Amino acid sequence: MQTQTVKMVVTGPFSSGKTQFVQSISEIDVVATERTISTEEERVKDQTTVAMDFGRITIDDDLILYLFGTPGQRRFDFMWEILAQGMLGFVVLVDSARPETFREAQSILETFRAYAPTPYVVAANKQDLDDAWAVDDLRVALRLDDEIKMLPCVATSQEDVKNVLLELLYSILEEMELD
Amino acid sequence: MKGNLRDFSPTQLLSLVSLTKKTGSLLVNYKEGDATLSFRDGKLVYSAMGKADGSLASILARAGRISEKQAGSLSQYAAKTSDKQLGLLLIQKGYITQEDIVKSIKRHSLASVNSFANWKEGAFAFDPEKQPDEGRITVPIDLENVIIQISRLQKKDSQLEEEIPSLDIALKFTNRPNVKLSELQLNKDEWRVLNYIKPDNTIRMIANKLNMSDKQVRRVIGSLREAGLVELAHARRRPEKLTEQDKEKKRSNVVRIINRLQSIGAES
Repeated sequence: MQTQTVKMVVTGPFSSGKTQFVQSISEIDVVATERTISTEEERVKDQTTVAMDFGRITIDDDLILYLFGTPGQRRFDFMWEILAQGMLGFVVLVDSARPETFREAQSILETFRAYAPTPYVVAANKQDLDDAWAVDDLRVALRLDDEIKMLPCVATSQEDVKNVLLELLYSILEEMELD
Repeated sequence: MKGNLRDFSPTQLLSLVSLTKKTGSLLVNYKEGDATLSFRDGKLVYSAMGKADGSLASILARAGRISEKQAGSLSQYAAKTSDKQLGLLLIQKGYITQEDIVKSIKRHSLASVNSFANWKEGAFAFDPEKQPDEGRITVPIDLENVIIQISRLQKKDSQLEEEIPSLDIALKFTNRPNVKLSELQLNKDEWRVLNYIKPDNTIRMIANKLNMSDKQVRRVIGSLREAGLVELAHARRRPEKLTEQDKEKKRSNVVRIINRLQSIGAES
C-alpha cells in the first residue's frame, strides 16, 4: 500500500520558537534551512530559518505526518503560501515575552487564515520566562475570539508541543463533525 | 548642497538643516509644483509650495480668516506694497489680530513641512544666499520636535502598510456584543468610516467615497482595529468539497494521528 502523508504547518513571527517546536516532537533531526542573521535589529538570535523547517512523525505503517515550520522573517513570506497548500491545520506560535511581535503574529495569523480555511490554534510560547504575558492577556492583545484555542507552551517541552498538536487535531475533528 | 529626494529623504534633509543651523532656502522641484522652504539658523521661517504661494492673503484665505474674494483684492494690494504692510493694515482696521496672523502662518508652515515630508522624489538644492523677500512676514519654527513627530508618524504609517497591505479588502465588525457604538468617543473620520463598513465595501471604496488618501484611511482603520472594533474581512478560500469516502479517510487519518501523538512520551 502506498504511504500517505499529511502535513501541519507551524508559523509565527521571527524568533517565536518554530524550529524548536518542530524539533521537540519530530522523530528525525529537523531539516532546518538556517542562515546567520545579517541585520542588527533582528539579532535576538544567531540564526534564522530562510526556507522552512521540516520534521516528521511516523503514525503507522502507511501514514506519515510532516511538520513544516515557516520562515519567520517577512522577506521570506513567499514560502508561506506554498507551505500552506494542502495542510491539515496550522499552529501560530507567539513569543509570550516579546510584545513587540504580537502585531506581527496577528498579521501572520490573518494571512494564513486567508490562505486556507483550515482549523488553527495559537500557542503562547516561552511561558517559562519571567516576563511572559499570561495567556488570557495575550488573547486580548491578539484580539482572538473566544472559540479560538490559545494554549500555553514551552517549545522545548515535548509534552507541551504534543498538547498543542493534539488540541489542533481535536479542532480538526470538531470541524469535520460540524460539516 | 544638491540632490534628489529619492536618495536623501525630506526628513533627513530637514534634520540636516536643523542640526547644522543653516540659513538659506531649500528649493525643490516636485511634480505638483516647486517648493521653497526658507530657514534662518536652522529654523523654518517661510514656505511656499505649489499653489500655496506663502503670501499672507492666501494663507489667511486658506485658514478661513478671509474669503477667496477678499484674498484676491488683498493680493493685488500686497503686490503693490508688502505682506508686512498688509498685515499691519488688517490689524489696524481691526479685521484680525497679530496673534491670528502668527498662528495662521505657523499652521501654514507646519502643513507645508508635513506635506514635504511625504515627497518621495524631486530634485533639491540648498541656496545659502536666498532669503524670503523683505516684505514677507517670517515666523521662526523650531523643527526638532516637528521632525520627531513626522518620523513617528512615518514609522506608524509604514507599520500600517504592513498590517493592511491591500486596500482591496472589506472590513467587518468584531464580535463584541457588549460594546455600544453610540457610547464610543470616536472622531469624525472614524465615524464616517464606520458608517460604510459593509461586506461589499472594500477599504479602497470607502476611501474614495469619503475622499480620503490611502494613508488617511489606513490611519483611521488602524485606530479602529487598535480599539478592537473592526477587523479585516479576508476573503476566505472555500473548503474543498470532500466526498463521503474522502471525509471518512481524513477522519480516520486524524484519529490515527491523535492516537499516535498520545502515545509519544508514554512509550519511553
